[in-house]
Amino acid sequence: MRVPDWARINQPTVNLPLRWTACALLCLTVAISALVRPVGAQENHRADAERHLHLVVEDGSSGQPMSGVEITVEWADGVATVRRTARSDRHGHVDIQRLPPRVVTMRARVLGYVAITRQVDLSGDDVVLKIRLEPVAVRLSQVDVIADSLADPLAQVAAVSSMDRSDLDSHRGQTLGETIKHLPGVAVIQLGPSIAKPVVRGLNSQRVVVLSGGVRQEDQQWGTEHAPNMDSFEADAVTVVRGAGTVLYGADALGGVVRVDYAPVADTGALRSELTTNMFSNSRQGALSFVAQQGGLPLPWIGRAGYRARITGRVAGTGASPDYYLANTGFRELNGSLGVGVERPWGRSEVTLSHFGTELGVLSQAHAGNFDDLQRAMREPPRDSGFTYGIGRPNQRVSHTTLRWRTVRRRADSGELEFVYGLQFNDRREFDGHGPLRFQNIPAFHLRLFTNSADLRYTHAPWRGLVGTVGTTVSVQGNQTLGKGFLIPGFDLLQLAAYAQESYSLGRFTFSSGIRADGISQTTIPFDDAGIRSPAGTRRWAGFAGSLGSAYQITDALTVSLRLARAWRPPTVNERYAQGVHHGSAQYELGDPTLDAERSQGVEGSLQFTGRQVSWQAAAYDNRIANFIFLEPRDPVFTLRGAFPAFRYAATRARMRGIELSSNVALNSWLSLEGTASAVRGRDLLRNQPLYDMPADRALVTAKVEGAGRRVGPWDFALGAMFVRRQDGVPSGTIYTLPTAGYELVQASVGLHALEVAGRRLDVSLSVSNALNARYRDYLSRYRLFVDDAARDFVLRVRMPLF
Amino acid sequence: MFKQLVRMLPVFAVLALAACGDSTGPGQEQEVISRVSLTVTPVGGGTAQTIYIDDPDGLGPIAPSAQVGTLQLRRGTSYTGSVQFENRLVNPPEDITEEVAEEADEHMVIYTISGATGTTLATTDTDDRGRQLGLVYTVTPGATLGAGTIRVVLCHYDPTPKPSTASSCSGDTDIDVVFNFSVITAPTLR
Repeated sequence: MRVPDWARINQPTVNLPLRWTACALLCLTVAISALVRPVGAQENHRADAERHLHLVVEDGSSGQPMSGVEITVEWADGVATVRRTARSDRHGHVDIQRLPPRVVTMRARVLGYVAITRQVDLSGDDVVLKIRLEPVAVRLSQVDVIADSLADPLAQVAAVSSMDRSDLDSHRGQTLGETIKHLPGVAVIQLGPSIAKPVVRGLNSQRVVVLSGGVRQEDQQWGTEHAPNMDSFEADAVTVVRGAGTVLYGADALGGVVRVDYAPVADTGALRSELTTNMFSNSRQGALSFVAQQGGLPLPWIGRAGYRARITGRVAGTGASPDYYLANTGFRELNGSLGVGVERPWGRSEVTLSHFGTELGVLSQAHAGNFDDLQRAMREPPRDSGFTYGIGRPNQRVSHTTLRWRTVRRRADSGELEFVYGLQFNDRREFDGHGPLRFQNIPAFHLRLFTNSADLRYTHAPWRGLVGTVGTTVSVQGNQTLGKGFLIPGFDLLQLAAYAQESYSLGRFTFSSGIRADGISQTTIPFDDAGIRSPAGTRRWAGFAGSLGSAYQITDALTVSLRLARAWRPPTVNERYAQGVHHGSAQYELGDPTLDAERSQGVEGSLQFTGRQVSWQAAAYDNRIANFIFLEPRDPVFTLRGAFPAFRYAATRARMRGIELSSNVALNSWLSLEGTASAVRGRDLLRNQPLYDMPADRALVTAKVEGAGRRVGPWDFALGAMFVRRQDGVPSGTIYTLPTAGYELVQASVGLHALEVAGRRLDVSLSVSNALNARYRDYLSRYRLFVDDAARDFVLRVRMPLF
Repeated sequence: MFKQLVRMLPVFAVLALAACGDSTGPGQEQEVISRVSLTVTPVGGGTAQTIYIDDPDGLGPIAPSAQVGTLQLRRGTSYTGSVQFENRLVNPPEDITEEVAEEADEHMVIYTISGATGTTLATTDTDDRGRQLGLVYTVTPGATLGAGTIRVVLCHYDPTPKPSTASSCSGDTDIDVVFNFSVITAPTLR
């Protein structure tokens, strides 16, 4: 028996290295903030001396907005030529800022169309221009077409969907998961409004890698109620790569990769700032994000640099379903980031420090004392808690701090060397609603995760049709378990990887292959307590992941591709050592230390059609996963608190199959139809039954009307419906009677993207989700046993430049 | 410029080292109730009887121990009793009953007797708003001799409103255990 050391619990002994880290981070923060202070006013261009060029790019033959058109603006500055480049978004819009008040040369080009060059006079005021590109009559050689799209080599042979800035602006939700959940093959595990965890091709948590600005996000992602800890305002582009075998980002992405990218910090340009607000009626939520950026700062011994600073706050009250409030589902967020960047002839370099902090309530009905309570909570009609901005017990307080240093060195042969260093600190505290701990302000679970990672990759210059990247990654991780309760033991993780990916174009064929070798060492640290089974020990795993794919252009518009992929991942610490009652489901989870690595092998094919008016993409896959780790029901666990339904982590042979469709039909210059659909079937081959937690089949259909008014600028109106089929693939071993019914939701939005108000150009949109106020429970909602999902929600989004 | 950034490498190297191998020291004790005891004393005075059930692994997967001690109630005698909740996984043991008493507004101990027909248990304390609390009680054996059980449920009301009295828990269950007892004949008076 040991003496309880309350002083230590309240002020945990901080190891010396930990203190170093904190100190170093602090010093660095201070240093950065000292460095970015503008040194002289002479470097500060006045904001009013700067111009915008706003373009709308259209297809000259169909009148359709054109995305991906490269716009270059050039002007002479002394003897040098200054050039600025941007690409048009889905609406054909390009907004180029920080231009001088003079005549500049604007060039627009995209493959398959005649490039145009024009002089634009910006001396008087900002300019809004519509340009029409005419298709070229001459057929370009296929090799060129393919080489152009190799900008993202994955796009050729893997199923990729991406959201650019304007997509994000109109979908930006309360969380990252909400923002991307309409993409094909993507679903979310939702815990009320505050937690949305991305599910890609039916897989989640450790099997979906989230990349934040090139750094793998490490935020205790193994927990299904642990959402990605990132500011949803910060993202400038989000790409979802579906399927395994993306060797660049990790072997363990069996489901896929969610890549969140941020705008580069420019080192030129005067002070600019922007305010974005989102308001959600359902939870009476307000979110405000302010960003400021400035270039031309003379930093000591670095020279000209730019910075960008962002601060975001969010306050949400109790969420509501159509009939009642969802008790204790409010949340708050306070996030900030500061990035400093330089651009030089040799390349660019950027250091960013970002912090995400949230406090979120967990639905109080879902927090049951024991199995009897749980069954009662499921039987009883939900209690209407009334509205409050307060957050009671149980709750989670999570913070995530990332220091990222990214340097891209351009080489003379047009190859690129990229180095990314990331230091992440994740602090997760979960406060319990019962047991003796509710008397004290002591977290039931307290985990601290430190991650250090370094990536070095070299993208070589195109060489005889070969384009590719080689790289290596090292990552060191340490986890501390500090709470009074046990969830997972402390652990150290060391991971080393090397990878290579090459694409080769030959006529109408593109071949792509990748290989990645990983070595992982996992050391667990004993948790010293009665009854907790957590021995010390080190296990090591090593393995290969890879993919082999080929795409063939049948016609100019139609491409077929086939790809074989292999991926693997070692069991995570929670799968090996979890022991305890789960927040929110009163389910007892037990790990199995002897579990082996999961290995997935599969095949996927896709068809992609890109026409003038119609474009669509269809993908199908079939993966077999050996040692697939899942939670299997076992005998109940009895404690003094009563009985708990118990589950243990077990391994099986699994098969995942699915299809994804997405299409876009432009009926005419102003009306378009968009649709996406996904279906996934997961099967436990040993027990011959469906896998738990597979998303139900879903389809989203949206009709969109676009136009431009003289006074309001470009506008759009969209009306959509989401159809979710009933989930009939539920394993028989499930102890709960799960609601699996299908449902339909209607959503609508209207947006004005260049509204002039008091001399400022605003981007305003109003949308409504669940417009008909349907009562429904999604199969993947973690609160489905207790309450309905969210009711109608009006969302007002406003983006406004300040100065 | 690149060279200058390279010069910053040592800074990052220090940062990199700092977070390495940083992990848990010795673990912390769990905060749980690991023992529930009942103590009853004859109303007129006499020897107290104490029975308890331990859960040596707290919330671990091993089931609680069998009941330690026997509880024999003599027909015709009333008993005053108390319940005690302790965490004996720490040293010295923590008495969690005190915390329950401090938060009397949010708690109720609910007793259910089965078997030994006629035996009754009545709680004798209330919180400051006059609602049943149940840390102390009186037990009166009935006419039927033989074995019976007392189920002890510690119920926590938050945010569920606490009722003035209850026969089953409508909040969160903190404790749910069942004790055995028996009713025996009164000793012959000499």
